[in-house]
This record gives sequence, structure tokens and C-alpha cells, in this order.
Amino acid sequence: MKKTALLLLILLMFPVASNAEDFLGAPVVSQGKENLRTDARLEMKTPLSHDEVVLFYKEQLKDVQDIKFRDWKDSTYIEDDGARPWHSITISKDDKAGATIVIVKDNWTWIIGTLILRYIGVFVVLMIVLLGMVVSGKIISSFVRRAEAKKAAG
Amino acid sequence: MTANEILDMLYGTLHTTGIYNFQWNIVLMWGVGSLFIYLAIAKKYEPLLLLPIGFGIFIVNFPLVPLMGYSHGHPQLFQLFYHYGLKWEVIPCIIFLGLGAMTDFGPLIANPKTLLIGAGAQIGVFITFTGTVLVGFTLKEAASVSIIGGADGPTTIYLTQHLAPQLLGPNALAAYSYMAMVPLIQPPIMKMMTNLKERKIRMRQLRSVSRQEKILFPLVTSGIIALLVPSVIPLMGMFMLGNLMKESGVVERLVGTAKDSLMNIVTIFLGVSVGATMQADKFLSWKPLFIFSLGLVDFAVCTIGGIVTVKIMNLFLKEKINPLIGSAGVSAVPMAARVSQMEGLKYDRTNHLLMHAVGPNLAGVIGSAAAAGMFIAMFD
Repeated sequence: MKKTALLLLILLMFPVASNAEDFLGAPVVSQGKENLRTDARLEMKTPLSHDEVVLFYKEQLKDVQDIKFRDWKDSTYIEDDGARPWHSITISKDDKAGATIVIVKDNWTWIIGTLILRYIGVFVVLMIVLLGMVVSGKIISSFVRRAEAKKAAG
Repeated sequence: MTANEILDMLYGTLHTTGIYNFQWNIVLMWGVGSLFIYLAIAKKYEPLLLLPIGFGIFIVNFPLVPLMGYSHGHPQLFQLFYHYGLKWEVIPCIIFLGLGAMTDFGPLIANPKTLLIGAGAQIGVFITFTGTVLVGFTLKEAASVSIIGGADGPTTIYLTQHLAPQLLGPNALAAYSYMAMVPLIQPPIMKMMTNLKERKIRMRQLRSVSRQEKILFPLVTSGIIALLVPSVIPLMGMFMLGNLMKESGVVERLVGTAKDSLMNIVTIFLGVSVGATMQADKFLSWKPLFIFSLGLVDFAVCTIGGIVTVKIMNLFLKEKINPLIGSAGVSAVPMAARVSQMEGLKYDRTNHLLMHAVGPNLAGVIGSAAAAGMFIAMFD
């Protein structure tokens, strides 16, 4: 209820926001100043707070599939896992005088980067399992040896 | 009763039959279903799964059959199996329990460095992901398609159900089909990637592994997996539980149930549920065809990945590993290990590689589950 009221308030205060323009198909809040605009990146500062911007995007993207909102320590990260032209929207949390919004174009650097990282991750997981096996094997072997030696002595 | 009334009655009756609702695309699906039934019976390709899958495809593609829909709000028979078995991700985990109860991790414990082969073989999964995205699949779909190369049926089903349930039928079918065709797909690749000298490498006999080590292994492994890739612990946890039950030696009855009766029961439900997802209107598009062709490439690249990993390891090892066991890193237990054994025997009749190949084979299971966990973590 509170959230809906807040959203209504935002929409009333910033009527243009409901018909927001977009960057690569990603909605853009109309209130704010663009700091950087290239083909692949839009950075802007808005007087809206972090929570207000997140609410705006939740409303705008509510019917969109394959969208994920990640709540990080210093920002909220909206990621597209579908096949849209934009990849992510980052909304900063730390700015007192309004949020900074960064919209990034979908790019192969991210896909390849994350794949390489995850492939290395598989190696890391199995190497740690390997380490665990070696260590536990050594501990058990020493126990077994000691028990056998005790048996032989007694 | 007038002639018109009789005709109306006949017309009404005709409406309730499949003949009136017949569409030509379902004939194609009967062909697909029959093909898999043929492969299971005549060629003995993964018959335990391909037979019920084939029948599921066949029977669900008749018009008006009350199998995959809802009647008066209640799920119909196959829908029920699908909902509770696959949608709730129960069946793959129970199959892993049974697999764990059947598995002897001794060869892997005796030669733990073969774990790296299982990791190396996952390269195909990540390469295929890129190819799949390039042709227009979403990232989630790409992840579910690429895991086919890991050659692990339950993991493929688990990940697909999690990320792209609409591709469950084609993905599961591709995974099990290629697993069945390991003896056809892998040998030419193994020959191409190795030279005669490498194929004749003899490996030292594996040390014997104590019972205590075997008991500790599932605990250590599931603990590490739970810490690093918690998203696949439903699968790996059940796998390790099955193995712990087996190695403990104190719950023989449970082990027997897990690896026989329970496994057989869920295999039936798995087969028909997967087959039943493949209705003509959902299946007949370019995507399943693409999944089948890319699955083959995926499988081949994973095989190459395992062999190349062994070759890289050999650069640093005093005691060389026979690269023929690298192909077993794709999982497909125990078929891939048997292929390594058969290929090894072709070049040296006294060089038995089976037990050596079981290590990377099991590592492949853990590796593909880890890769699946990485994907789930990426999208959840």
C-alpha cells in the first residue's frame, strides 16, 4: 500500500516519467541530467532517491520476463537475462542528493567474461574437492597406520 | 427420432473423437516417438529411458488425449507425473540418490588428480553456451542447452527445469541420445586427438582405498559443494547420501531400494513425463533441431576438453596419464569409461584402462553438477 502510494506520488510529481523515454529499450527516468551518453552507455544523475528509482523500474519492468533485481550493498543492479539490447541498469545507493543511474548495452565482453570466470570456477571447485580428498586421505591413512601398529605391538 | 437428429448425434460423437481433431503435424511426432522406441528396442540405446520417452511422445500427440492437460481443474495423468516429478525437481534428485548408491568412488579417491579431467571436459559446456546465444537463444536457454555436453541426464533435466522448462523435452532427449551414442561419437575424436605412443601409455595400478576414506569422501565432497555451489546441493547431496549409505554398510535395505526399486520407479515417471512435454505445437520448431545438432558439437568439444586436459597435466607429471581416459571426463557413467577401456585394448591388449577411466568419469559427474551450479547462481 505504502509502495503504491509512493509510486503514485512519483508519477504525479513527474508526469513525464510514466511515458519515459528509453535507452536501448530500457526505460529512463525523465527527471535528471545526463552525464554521459554513448552508443553503449548512459550515465545520469537524478534528484529521485534510490528507492524511488527502484520503484519506478519495478513498475516499468513488471511485465518484462527474464529480468532480475539484485540488491547489492552500494547499488541495486537490474540485469536482463533475455535477448534485449540493454544488459544492466545500476542504481547507486550512496548518493544523498539523488541516485546515479547507469544503463549499459548488452555486450559480449560480459558474456565471455562471466563464462571464463565460471569455467575457472568449476576448476576451483574440483581443486578444492581434490585438496579435501588429499588432506582427509592423509589423516585417515595415518589413523589406520597407527591402529595397525598398535595391533601389531599389542 | 428424425434423420437430422441422428446425424447431429453422429456429428456430436465425431467431435469427441481424435479423428475430427486430427492435425498433420502430429504424424511427424508419432514418427519421432516411434524412432526413439525403435532405437531403444532394436539398437538398445539407453532403453530404460528412450523407451518410455518415445512412448510418451507417441501417445501424447494424439488429439484430445487427457494426459498433459487439466480436467475440471485437476491435472491429468502425465501432467501429474510432470508436475510433482519434474517441475518440483524431485525425480533428478532421486535418480542421483540411486546413482550414489551404485557408485564406487574408490578409483577417484585413489587417483584424485583425475578430478581435474572432469573439470577440463566442461569446456564444451561453456563454448556451446556462446554458440547458442549467437543464434538467438536467451541466456537461460543457452545455459540449459549447453549442459547437454556434460552428458549427465539428471543434471541436464535439473538445470533445464530450473532455467528453461520449455526446452525440457528436446534437452533431455538430446542428452540421453548422445549418452547412448558415446561408443560411436568418442572413438574417432580420441584417435584424432592422440598419437600411438600416448595411446599405449600404461598407468600404475591404483592403490587400495580404505573403508574409512570411502565413508569420509561423500561427507567432505558434499560439504565443499554445499559451501561453494549451494544451488546444486539437492542433486549432489542426494548423490553423496546414496554413496554414504552404500559405503557405511549398515543400511543394506535402503541401498537396495535406492538403487533398484526406487530408481526403476522414478525412471518410468521420468521417461513418460519428458516424452509427454514434447507435444507437436511446442516441439516442431527450429529450436529442438538446433539443440540436437549443437548437442553433438557440445559433446565432441567436451570430449576434446578432457583429452587436452590430460595432455596438459602430462606436461607436469612424472607418471604420465593415458589421454584415452580424458574422454571419460564427460560423465556418461559408465559408458564413457568403457569406451576408454575398449580403445586402450585396441592398441595394447594387456593395457586395462577401465578403473583409471572411472576416476575422470565420476569427476565428470561432479564437474557437470558444478557447471550447472554456476549457471543457476548466474541467473537466480
